[in-house]
Amino acid sequence: MSAESPAFDLLKVPFIGPFFGWRHARTFLQIPVLIVGIAMIAHGLFGPTLAPKNLATTVSWVHFRGALVLVLLCAGNLFCLACPFMLVRQWARRLFRPRFTWPRKLRNKWLSAGLFALILFLYELFDLWSSPWWTAWLIVAYFAGILVIDGIFKHAVFCKFVCPIGQFNFVASTLSPLEVKVRDQGVCVPCETKDCIRGRRDPSGLVVIQRGCELALFQPSKAGNMDCTFCLECIQACPHDNVGILSRPPASELMTDPRRSGIGFFSRRKDIAALALVFTFGALLNAFGMVSPVYALESWMGRMLHVSHEAPVLGLIFVFSLIVEPVVMLGLAAWLTRVWAGSRQATLPLIVRYAYGLVPLGFGMWLAHYSFHFLTGILTLIPVTQNAVASLGRPLLGEPLWTLTGIPTRFVQPIELGFLVLGLAGSLLLTHRLAQDEDAPHPVRAFIPWAAVCLLLWVAAVWLILQPMEMRATFMG
Amino acid sequence: MIEPEIAPRPARIGLATVTLRLSDAAGQPVRQARIALEADMAHPGMRPEFGAAREVAAGRYQGQLTFTMAGDWVVVIHATLPGGRKLERQMEVNGVR
Repeated sequence: MSAESPAFDLLKVPFIGPFFGWRHARTFLQIPVLIVGIAMIAHGLFGPTLAPKNLATTVSWVHFRGALVLVLLCAGNLFCLACPFMLVRQWARRLFRPRFTWPRKLRNKWLSAGLFALILFLYELFDLWSSPWWTAWLIVAYFAGILVIDGIFKHAVFCKFVCPIGQFNFVASTLSPLEVKVRDQGVCVPCETKDCIRGRRDPSGLVVIQRGCELALFQPSKAGNMDCTFCLECIQACPHDNVGILSRPPASELMTDPRRSGIGFFSRRKDIAALALVFTFGALLNAFGMVSPVYALESWMGRMLHVSHEAPVLGLIFVFSLIVEPVVMLGLAAWLTRVWAGSRQATLPLIVRYAYGLVPLGFGMWLAHYSFHFLTGILTLIPVTQNAVASLGRPLLGEPLWTLTGIPTRFVQPIELGFLVLGLAGSLLLTHRLAQDEDAPHPVRAFIPWAAVCLLLWVAAVWLILQPMEMRATFMG
Repeated sequence: MIEPEIAPRPARIGLATVTLRLSDAAGQPVRQARIALEADMAHPGMRPEFGAAREVAAGRYQGQLTFTMAGDWVVVIHATLPGGRKLERQMEVNGVR
């Protein structure tokens, strides 16, 4: 082990390591998730119309989201690893070989950032959380989307440039403690085959026997978790057993700005910065949709604009929250960094660079929100599953125990606040570090405007968490 | 046929009274039915509330439920008729505050 290697490598852990090194590990994880997904679709389309009694809504909006953020916090992007959509795509690719390459103009995160915002918008507009039917169709649309896109275009285009869940995972996993990474850079220097990205073919050269990274991440120059689906291909492809799942300080990849394989420099990627901002401000917006003040605001806006339909009012709230608010807040902070701290950078590059500093705050808010639903409703999966099984004809799992719910709210709220404090600490640390690295005569002055942005967002997040929740599907009523 | 009503209107957090009339196809009141009440949040992951309604007049039943938080609720009425036949009726109670 080289001096720079971290102490912990998940692949060195007994049982877990050999499992992840197993060629079929991913498929093994994907199959049960696929079965659950099919059950969710079936129950969503043909089961009870009440969301709390349906697998589609309960698993999607209570358990999946909560488990997702907690696993991202504690480990890494393991949900992309177990993605059932990829399994179906793999099977489909045995029948249809994609022939086209993804258009160059779309090889960025603009489309996926827009789709991420669109999903958040549709979630509020159609109250997806209260509709098993729409939730089931959303899952079906996901399967259809991936089959069409990855059926036409080569490589993992859907994961890298389209999938909104994947983008969420990519951004959040920049804060995860685990990373798929080269163990010893020295081993890679003389490597000529570069199997980690090229894959391996049989002696005829016609048949791929081991894929390389489909997301164009070349291990020796890969830095961080952005765009990494934890697919394990590089681990299995490396002939030198030199790729591990290594520990690292969470958020460390956001502190530096190296040239990243398959990505380039974060500081030059306006699209990834925009994605980070949708992630951060979307976290607040998504929680805002669940508390009382939003209904008062929508009613007031509806009266002022003389509209009775929710879409235009909600659209305005989204435009304000995801475009106007970030532009004004970050624009002002960047302007102060220039005129007060003496930074020589232009305003837009400053916004791009510091946008990544807000990611911990956003993740803190997602954690607080989703863990609330997850922890307060964790046991509801039991009666909903019992009910689903009973609806097949025989109550094999017993009569549904509808009184099972989860941890009382009074115990969960401190956990939510803890996540928010963690997010604030992370963002302050990051923006402070970025200000230190700033080529400015007054680094402290460069930090203060961004710290103010962090604090403002944090106060808004705390205010949201302390609001009484009012889960309504009837906004304009 | 089940014709439910809920009071107070607009619904508020706390106790609510559910009153319902139960009648047959000829419009005659159905007596001695067993009525179970259930209130679910529109959002999954929330604990449902349960109650029962008793007959207060011929074919007229009344019971209470607790709305534990603000938001949209669905009240489900499960009726078991004297002959054992079961009926179910859902009633949306939106905007509980």
